[in-house]
Amino acid sequence: MHTCPPPTAALNEWLEAYGTVEQNYGHLLLEQKSEINDDLVDALRPYFESAHLDAQEYFHAQVGISLHPDAAGGPPPVCYPACLPSKAQRGLFGEVVAGLVTEAYQDEFVGRHAWRVPIFLFREHDDVEKYLWALRFDPARTREIYGRHGSDFIGIALNAQGELVRVIAGEAKWRKSLTDSVVASLLLGPKEEDEDIGEMVHNGRGIWFEVNRDSPIPHGLRQLQRLLEQRDPDGHANAILSIDRAVFGQGPPPGRTNLVLIVGNGARRREPASVLIPWEQPPTEYTAPHDLQVVEVILDGGDALIDDLYSTLWQGA
Amino acid sequence: MPERDQDRLEAAERVRRELGIENQLSRAQARTYVRCLQATWQVPTIQWSERDSARQIADARRLLHAAHIFRSIEGPSSLRAIDCYRRSGEILEWLSRGDDVIREVAPIELLAAGAYQLGGLPAMASGLLSQMRSEHIGVRLYSAFLRADFDGVLQRAAMFWRRHADLTTIDAGAMLIAAMRGKAPEGEAPPTVSWAFSVELVRSLGLVADCLRRGDDERLETAMDKLHALDAMATRTFSDDASLVISIMRDVADSFVTATIYRPLRSLGALRPERSPRLLAYARDQFSRGRGILWTSQQHGLQRLLQEDSFALCTPTGSGKTLVANLALIKELLLREDEGLLGPLALYIVPSRALAGEVEAKLTSELGRDVTVTGLYGGADWGITDYWLTSEEPVVLIATVEKAEALLRYLGQMMMARLRLLIIDEAHQVVPEANEATRLSFSDHSNRSIRLEGLVSRILSQRPDVVRIALTAVAGGAAGPVARWVEGRPNADPVGLRYRSTRQVIGVLETAPNAQGRILLDLMNGLPLYLRDEEDAVYLRLQIEVMPQLPAQWRNSLNRFNCLSVLWTALHLADEDQRILISVAQEPEQTMRWYKEALERADWQGAMRFQPPEEPLRARFDEARAACLDYCGADSFELFLLDRGIATSHGQMPQRLRRLMVELIDRRICPITVATATLTEGVNLPFDLIFLTSLKRRSWDPVEEQQVVAPLTTSEFRNLAGRAGRPGASRGIEGMTLVALPTQISTTAAASIATQRRQRAELARDYDRLRASLVIEERDADDVPSPLALLLNRIWERANRLLGVAPDAFLDWLERTAPTAVSPDVGTGTSDGTARLADAMDELDAILLTSLQEVARADEAAMTRARAEALLITLWQTTFTAVATEQEAWLEQAFVRRGAGIIEHIYPDPDERRRLYQYGLPPAVGRRFEAVARRMRELLAAADEYGSADPTTRIDLFQELGDLVSADRGFGFRVRRTDADEALLERWADVLGWWMNEPDVAGPVPEDLRSWQRFVADNLEFRLGVAIGAVVAEAWAEGAGDALTLPSLASWKDTTGLPWIGFWARELLRWGTHDPFVAFCLAQGLAPTRDAAGARRQEFNAWLEQEQDDLTAEDRIDPQFFLRWQASLPRPENAARAPPQMRAALTGTTGERGRYAVMPVTRGEGTAWLDPAGFELAVTRARAQIGGRPSRSDYELVTIDGEPTVTRVFRPA
Repeated sequence: MHTCPPPTAALNEWLEAYGTVEQNYGHLLLEQKSEINDDLVDALRPYFESAHLDAQEYFHAQVGISLHPDAAGGPPPVCYPACLPSKAQRGLFGEVVAGLVTEAYQDEFVGRHAWRVPIFLFREHDDVEKYLWALRFDPARTREIYGRHGSDFIGIALNAQGELVRVIAGEAKWRKSLTDSVVASLLLGPKEEDEDIGEMVHNGRGIWFEVNRDSPIPHGLRQLQRLLEQRDPDGHANAILSIDRAVFGQGPPPGRTNLVLIVGNGARRREPASVLIPWEQPPTEYTAPHDLQVVEVILDGGDALIDDLYSTLWQGA
Repeated sequence: MPERDQDRLEAAERVRRELGIENQLSRAQARTYVRCLQATWQVPTIQWSERDSARQIADARRLLHAAHIFRSIEGPSSLRAIDCYRRSGEILEWLSRGDDVIREVAPIELLAAGAYQLGGLPAMASGLLSQMRSEHIGVRLYSAFLRADFDGVLQRAAMFWRRHADLTTIDAGAMLIAAMRGKAPEGEAPPTVSWAFSVELVRSLGLVADCLRRGDDERLETAMDKLHALDAMATRTFSDDASLVISIMRDVADSFVTATIYRPLRSLGALRPERSPRLLAYARDQFSRGRGILWTSQQHGLQRLLQEDSFALCTPTGSGKTLVANLALIKELLLREDEGLLGPLALYIVPSRALAGEVEAKLTSELGRDVTVTGLYGGADWGITDYWLTSEEPVVLIATVEKAEALLRYLGQMMMARLRLLIIDEAHQVVPEANEATRLSFSDHSNRSIRLEGLVSRILSQRPDVVRIALTAVAGGAAGPVARWVEGRPNADPVGLRYRSTRQVIGVLETAPNAQGRILLDLMNGLPLYLRDEEDAVYLRLQIEVMPQLPAQWRNSLNRFNCLSVLWTALHLADEDQRILISVAQEPEQTMRWYKEALERADWQGAMRFQPPEEPLRARFDEARAACLDYCGADSFELFLLDRGIATSHGQMPQRLRRLMVELIDRRICPITVATATLTEGVNLPFDLIFLTSLKRRSWDPVEEQQVVAPLTTSEFRNLAGRAGRPGASRGIEGMTLVALPTQISTTAAASIATQRRQRAELARDYDRLRASLVIEERDADDVPSPLALLLNRIWERANRLLGVAPDAFLDWLERTAPTAVSPDVGTGTSDGTARLADAMDELDAILLTSLQEVARADEAAMTRARAEALLITLWQTTFTAVATEQEAWLEQAFVRRGAGIIEHIYPDPDERRRLYQYGLPPAVGRRFEAVARRMRELLAAADEYGSADPTTRIDLFQELGDLVSADRGFGFRVRRTDADEALLERWADVLGWWMNEPDVAGPVPEDLRSWQRFVADNLEFRLGVAIGAVVAEAWAEGAGDALTLPSLASWKDTTGLPWIGFWARELLRWGTHDPFVAFCLAQGLAPTRDAAGARRQEFNAWLEQEQDDLTAEDRIDPQFFLRWQASLPRPENAARAPPQMRAALTGTTGERGRYAVMPVTRGEGTAWLDPAGFELAVTRARAQIGGRPSRSDYELVTIDGEPTVTRVFRPA
C-alpha cells in the first residue's frame, strides 16, 4: 500500500501554486520557483519509493522466477524501476506526480475532495497493445490492435465509513518541452494530413478524446479494487464493496473528476505564470459531464530531476 | 471471511439474477443472439446500434465481475460464478460472432472463451475460437491456450522462437532487462517492459502447455508460479482488458491444473503401481486427442469412480461419458488383482448395433493395446471373431441386449464368472413410454425396455458384486431412478447433470412456391427468442436462389413440394460448408425418389456442386460407393444420390452399408444426408443443421381398420435435435433443427386446393404443439414408468376386463393359467384381445423362465417351488421396477407367484424348460417351435455337401429352412399388413435368392428396394436367423454336456453334431451371401464387396489345395482353414518403427538435469532443440526428420553413452 504522505514543505518551497476553480472546472498551475537540488530529490524520494513499492515487489517477483530448466542464467540482478528505459521512467514520473499533486493540493482542486491514492497503477498503455497481441517487437508500428486503454491515473475519495464516494481519473503526461505545439498534439492528437483540404491537422485522438470517451466508471477502478483485495482486504473492506456496487451500477454512482496533468520543462519563451490551457473556463473540446481538473507542472531541468530521482530510489536500502 | 463478503455476495447475486439465470434470457440478450445468428448466416439483421453493443458489453463485464466475486469468496466451483461466466461468455460470443465493432476495441472472443472455460463449458470455448481468425500470433497463441489446444500453443510458441532466435539463449532474460536500460543501436528503440512481459508470457504458456501434456508436475508448478506473477504484474501495468485476459488465462490455467487427466490416473495407478506407466501413457494419448483436460462432468464421474464402484453418470451425449466408461474399464479390468485363469470381462451394453460399432472403434483405438475389444459383428451367436472366449487378456464385450442374451445362453457360466464390470449405455432406455404402443409391444415381444431390465436384473441378482455403471442422457429425466437401480440403494444420486455441450436452436424453415425460403428462429435451448403475439418474429432470410417452378403434378403433393424445398435449401447451404441431415419420418424411399427425379431436372443442375473427395478420403468414398452398388444396385436411388454427395441411411439398410454411410457422414465426405431416425439413435454424428419434413408417422391398423397417426414424441424430437451441433464435431456452435412448413399451398389445381390448405394448417398445428411441449421445462422426473409394472398391470387389467378375473382371484389365476388356456392362438401373432393377453403372459413367462433357468443351470440342483420363490424375490429386488419407484406390493407377489407357477404348473418339465430357454423364444412360441426345430436340425445335419454345392443348391437349403417358418406368425415371417408387403411374403423365395446373391437373380426395382430390404432385415436376417440360431444353440447345449464347456472351433462340429453350414448359416443371412468364404472376408475386412470377396475365393482355393489333400466339401467352408489362410497372408508393414534418435550438441545447458523436455525449431540447415519455455538447449546439425507436425509429439534430450541424444518419446496415434 502507498502510505507515504506528500512532502508538502518541500513542494511549497519548490513550486508556486496558482489554483483557480470556476464552477466545475479547476485549473492548477505549478511553476517551479527554486532550483532542483539534492534536498528536493531527498524529500521526494520517499514518496516515489512508496508509490513504486507495490509495483516493484511484483516486478521483482516475476523477474525472479527463471523458467530455464537448469534455473540457469537468472534471476537477473535488477532493480525496478531503475532498470527501465529512460522513456518509461518519464511516463512513470508523470503518473507519480499526478498522485503527488492530487494528494498534496486537494484544497486547490475542484470540489476540494479528500483524494487518496492507496496503490499506484503503472500502466504501459502505449505498447501493451503493440506487443502483447502481435508478439512482434516493432516500435514503429502505429496501428493499435485493440483500441481501449483507459486512464493513466486513478485516485479515490472515501467517506467516513471508508466507502468510495468519488473517483479521480485521467491522463498524466510528461513532455520534455511544453511548447504550444507539443501541448496541442497531446490534447488534440498528433497531426495527420487531411485529404480533403490537403493540410496537416490534429487527428482528434488526444487527451480530450480519451477523457471524453472513458466510461462513467473508469476502467482502472476494477484493477485498483483487485489490488486492494490482494493487499488490504480487511482495511479496505468497505471500499471494495462500494466499488463492487459502483461497477454493478447499484445505488448512486460515485462522483467523478477528470484529471489532465501535463508535466515538463517550460518552453524557452514562456512567460512566468502563463498557462497552456486556459483557466477561465473548460476547453470547448472537453465534453464529459464530470468535474475537470487541469494541472500544469512547469519545471526547469525536469529531465535531470527524473534521472536523479530514479537512479537513487532504494539506493540506501 | 472479511466482514463485507456477505454484502459483496449479495451485490453479485443481484447481477446474477438480473442477467445470468440459466433458464432465462432477457429480451436484449435474445436480440443479441438473434443478431449474432443473422450475422453468422450473412443475412439481413435486426435493427442494432452501437449503443446496443455498448450495453451488452457492459452487462458482460458486470457478469465477469460478479463471477469474480463469487469465485473469490465461494471458491472455483461456485455454481453462481458458473452461471455468471456462462452468460457472460454467451454475450461476448454473440457480440464477437455478430462481428460487432466492439471486436476492434476489446479482445472479446478471448474473454468469451475464458468465461466459457471457467463456466465449465469448454466445448463452447473451443467452438467459438475455432471459428475466429486473427492475424496476430499472440491472439492465436492465447486462443489456443484458452481452448486447451496445447499442441497449438506449442506450435505457435515454436513459431515465435523461430522468429526470435536471440531470445532463446540461456541469458536471454537478463539480456532483455539489460537491453532496456542500455543504449539501443542507432535508430532502434530499446525493448520495453511490455515486450519483456510478452516474451515471458510466451515462455510460461509454452511451458504450462508442455508440462500439462507430459504430466510434468514439478516444472508445471514453476510455470504456474511464473504465470501468477505475470498476472499480478499485468494487473498493475496493463490496461483493464489486457489484464483481464491475462487474469482469465491464469484462472483457466489453474483450472487445467486441477482438471488434468493425469490426476485421476495417478490415483488409479496407485491401485497397481506396476501398471502406472501404461496409465500415464494413456493420459498423454488423451492429450493428443484433445481430451486431456477433463470436463466438469467427467471430473465428477471420475471422482465417483475413484471413491466407489457403481454409479449412474447422467450427462448429455457429447459431454465425454465415454472417457469415464474407459477409465472404469481400465480400473476394473487392468488394475484389479488377477483372479482365475481367464481374463476379466466387461460387458458394455448398447442400444443398437450401429452404436456397438462406434463404441468398439473408440475403445479399440484407445484401449486396444491392453484389452481385447469386440463388438461381435457377426450374425451368429458366437463366431469367428470370438477368440476372446478363452483369452487370458481382459475383454470388453460390446453387445446389444439381444446379443448379450444370446451369449448368456451359450456361455452363461463362463461369462458370469469372468464378469467384472457392467456398463449400460443409454440406460434411460429402460424407462418405457406409458402408452398403448408399449403395452402392445409386450404382446409382440418387441419391447426393448423390458428386455434391458430383464438382462440387467438377472446379471445383478447372480452377480450382486459386479461393478456397474450406467450412462444416461438427461432428457427424459430418469437419472434418479436409473441411479437407484444401478447402485441398488434408495438414496443413490446420479453424477453429472447441468451440462450443455452445445446450443440448440429450434425453428421453422418456411417454404413457399416462387419465394426465397426463410428460417423462423423460435427457441434457443428451450427459451423463446421472441415473444409470440408481442414482438415481431425473428428470421434468417436466406440469400439463395428461388427454387425453380416444379411440374404441376409434383406440386399437387404439398409434402413433395415441402421435401423438395428442403433439398433445394440444403444443396445451397451445403455450399457454405454446412453439414445437413434431412430427417424423414417414414418412407425414405419416397423422398429418395423425389430427390432423384428433381436432381435429374435441367434447372436443378446448377445447384449441385459436389465433387468426390481427394485421397485419402477418396478411398472411403469409393468403398462406400462399391458397397452401395453391391447391395442396392446400379439403378438404386441410394447410388444416384451418393454420387451427388447425398448419403442415405435407414433401419433396413444392410449393416455394412450403413456403417460405411455413417463413415461418409462422420468424415464429412457427404455434406447432405437423408435418413430416418434410426441413423441418430445414440450415434455421434456431426450435423450443423437438421431438417424435418414431418412431425408425424402414419400407419394403417388393419385390425381396427383405421389410420394410426403417431406424432413424434418430445423425447424423440429432443434426441434428434441433440445430434445437431456436436461439440468439436460441427463447425457451428449451435445445432439447428428446423421443421419445414409451407407458408402457402403449392398446388394450382382447383381440386387439390382445399386439401392442401387443410394439410398446411395441420402441419402448422403439429409444430405449435411440439413447440409448446418443448417450452415446458425439462423436468427430472423421479416417478417414472417401469417395464415390469406396466406388463403386470396390463395382464391384470386385461384378465379382469376380458376374462372377468376378480381382484382377489387374480394371483391364483395367474399362478395356474397357461397362456394356451387363455387363447389357443398364443404365439401366432394373432391380434385379438385374448390372444394378446396370452402373448403378454408369454412375455412375462419368458422373463421368469430365463431367470430361473440361468440360476438353475449354475448349480444343477433341482428347481423347487420354494427355491424358485426365493430366487424370484431376490431377482425382483434387482429389477428397475422395484427400485425405481415405490410399487404396490401385489406386483412383486404376482411376479413371484407366476414364477412358482411356471415350475409347478405351466412348464413343470425341467428338460423342456432347458430347451425352451435355449431357443431364446418366449416359451409358448418356443413350444410351438419345437417340431420345426427338429426338422430344421435334420436339414442342417444333412447339408454336409454344402461346401461343394452350386449356388442354387445352397440357396435351396435356405429356402427349405425358410419354408418351415415362413407360414408361422409366431416365430416365423411377419410383414406389415399392406398389399405390397403381403405380396412380397408370397414371393419371399425371390427375395431370398436376390439377397443371398444367387447368380442371375433379378433384384427389386429401385422403388421396392426398401421393402425388400425390410423383408430381409425383419425376416431373413432376424426371424429365420433367430430360428436357426436357436436350433444350433440347442444342438450345442445338448452336446456340450456341462454348462462350463466353452465353444471352440476345434470341438464345434463334434459337440453340435452338425456340419459347418450350421456354424455359418446365420452369418450368411447377415452378409447376404451363400458362400461362407465371402461372409468371412467381409467380416474380417478382407474385401470391400461381395464380388471382391468372391474374387478372393480362387486365391483361397489355391492355398487350400496346397495345404490339404483329398479336399472334402466341409474343408472348403471350414472356418479353421479360413483363419489359417488369413494368417498366411503377408502382413502390412508395421508402421511403428523404433523412435528416431538424434545425436545432438549441447548449447544452452550443461546437461546436469539428465533429462530435458525439448521441442524442435528449424534453424538454418539444422534443428535447434528448445526447452518448452523457449531456451535453446541443444542443436543437431542436420535438420531432424520429424514429420509434418512435430509440435504434436514429445521429444526428450538425454545423454546416452556420454552422447547427448534427442529421442522422440511420444507420437500421436
